[in-house]
Amino acid sequence: MRGVIPHSILFIICLMAASSFSIEKSGEMVQSKKQKYLFLAFCLVPTFIMFSIFTLYPLFSGLYYSFFEMSGSSSNKEFIGFDNYIRLFNDDIILDTIIHDYFLVVTKVIGIMIMAMFFAVALTQLKIKEAPFYRIVFFFPNIMSVVVIGILWMFIYNPDLGLVNSGLAFLGLENLQRPWLGSETWALPSLVLPSIWAGIGLFMLMLMGGIANISKSYYEAAEIDGATQWQQFWRVTVPLVWPQIKISILYIVITTLNGSFIIVQVMTGGGPNNATHVMGSYLYQQAFVQFNFGYGATIGVMILVLSLITVMILQFLLRREKVDY
Amino acid sequence: MKRSIGEILGKGAIRIPLILWSLAVLYPIFWMFLGSFKSNAEIYRNPWGIPETFNWQNFADAWTNYNIDTSVFNSLIVTFVGAVLTLVLAIPTAYAIERLKFRGSHFLFTLYVSAMMIPMVLGWIPLFFLLAQFNMLDNIYGLAIVYAVSQLPFTIFVLTSFMTTIPKSLEEAASIDGMSPYGILLKVITPLSMSGIITVTIMNAIQFWNEYFMALIFLQSNENYTLALAIDFISSEAQYTNAWGTLFASLVIAIVPVIILYAIFQQRIAKGMTEGAIKG
Repeated sequence: MRGVIPHSILFIICLMAASSFSIEKSGEMVQSKKQKYLFLAFCLVPTFIMFSIFTLYPLFSGLYYSFFEMSGSSSNKEFIGFDNYIRLFNDDIILDTIIHDYFLVVTKVIGIMIMAMFFAVALTQLKIKEAPFYRIVFFFPNIMSVVVIGILWMFIYNPDLGLVNSGLAFLGLENLQRPWLGSETWALPSLVLPSIWAGIGLFMLMLMGGIANISKSYYEAAEIDGATQWQQFWRVTVPLVWPQIKISILYIVITTLNGSFIIVQVMTGGGPNNATHVMGSYLYQQAFVQFNFGYGATIGVMILVLSLITVMILQFLLRREKVDY
Repeated sequence: MKRSIGEILGKGAIRIPLILWSLAVLYPIFWMFLGSFKSNAEIYRNPWGIPETFNWQNFADAWTNYNIDTSVFNSLIVTFVGAVLTLVLAIPTAYAIERLKFRGSHFLFTLYVSAMMIPMVLGWIPLFFLLAQFNMLDNIYGLAIVYAVSQLPFTIFVLTSFMTTIPKSLEEAASIDGMSPYGILLKVITPLSMSGIITVTIMNAIQFWNEYFMALIFLQSNENYTLALAIDFISSEAQYTNAWGTLFASLVIAIVPVIILYAIFQQRIAKGMTEGAIKG
């Protein structure tokens, strides 16, 4: 906050706010223009100021910080140009964190979409009496705290007491037992299951909403044409719920890239030996554990850029002609 | 006939994965409740079964020895202040964007909504220094403000879509009766959007109650810990003290309010979240 540029950014934001809020001429309203202007300002300005201070300013200022070497406090910073970015490209751990993030993205998209689609079809197409029960149960983990989910699953993976190793012992598969979260190979894949466990419900409901809107007549027509259940699924259900599928995939990708570090932080803290660090948890470690705030901001810029690029590419890949039968 | 038998069998087969997944969801949660009543010795002896006796010692330990009482209190304040502040900031803006036509209203709406897609993690570093400068670092009210602003885009988004359904004639009638625009906002629009306000507030409250990472960055001393941080702290301690029972008891304390809200408002929460995701 002490630098000149952050203040000027804040000032520009306020100017933008002021200029964009000018009101349009109104017709025959009785109240004077000034009163209307005051009311509009009352509605918009306090909120926008708070939003500027606590959301817009930090984002722009994060970009600005990435060109500085700062440790300890904000007054203690030195302009170093692109040095942080050069360091970023030469940091071996960075590439690993990117790979880990995209590993989680891909496995979560595949796992959640297959299971959510299966459950959504099962609960809508087949008339099961207790369907509301499954809907309520499957959705619940979506509103559980990541801390609770993480700790619960740490215990499920516990080498001595955990459900996974006890279950393997029960099945006589002791040779498959592992210290799941303590193993450099298995720690990252072990994080996928809790994420799927916690995510399925929301996407199942989104897909169910789409399937419920499909007219029964399409299935009847397909039935008459002799289409099997499987063909009906691929030729009728999938194309007609494509908008929901697309949104679900985009949503999983965005929330994973922007939030996978939370479960990582709770369950492994990035360990063992950086085997589970993702971009966000590495940022946390650099900025708030080792106090390299400038370098942390550079990692933040990378997260922003990568997630924007990923979303744009995905939107291009997932575009599909709108289907109307 | 042949077909219906096939269908019955098919339905039976389809239930197997449904039942298995229900168990996968419910069992760990039940087990957490059961574990909170077990002594440490019993957790080691019989980690996944029913407790021999139900004793509340773990809850008492968590409550007094691990300062869970303070954290519950802090979490309640952060949740309450955060949720109220979100509404105070979001309702007028949602109303102005939806009903008062002004130049830039579309731009402003797009700006708020696109903030939902931006990874805020980049902003947390400057925010850390900003809070330090305002003397709001390690302060639960500072955290509540950060929470409220972080949920603004989502809240404005949900509320505008609720306000579209309010008939314009009601505002016009109130205006002809001589009510000021402030009165219309407070006495006409706010009560009529109550359904949307309740939905979005429940979701914000659950979000604030559960939140972990911003609390981790912006709070530092034990006496300011929210519940999520206190639990994380007990969890890392338990690696050495093996106080698993206490850990489970604190997890139960954290999850019970969420279960109660879910039991009452299940449909609102599910609908709010899916629609928020679909339209966003």
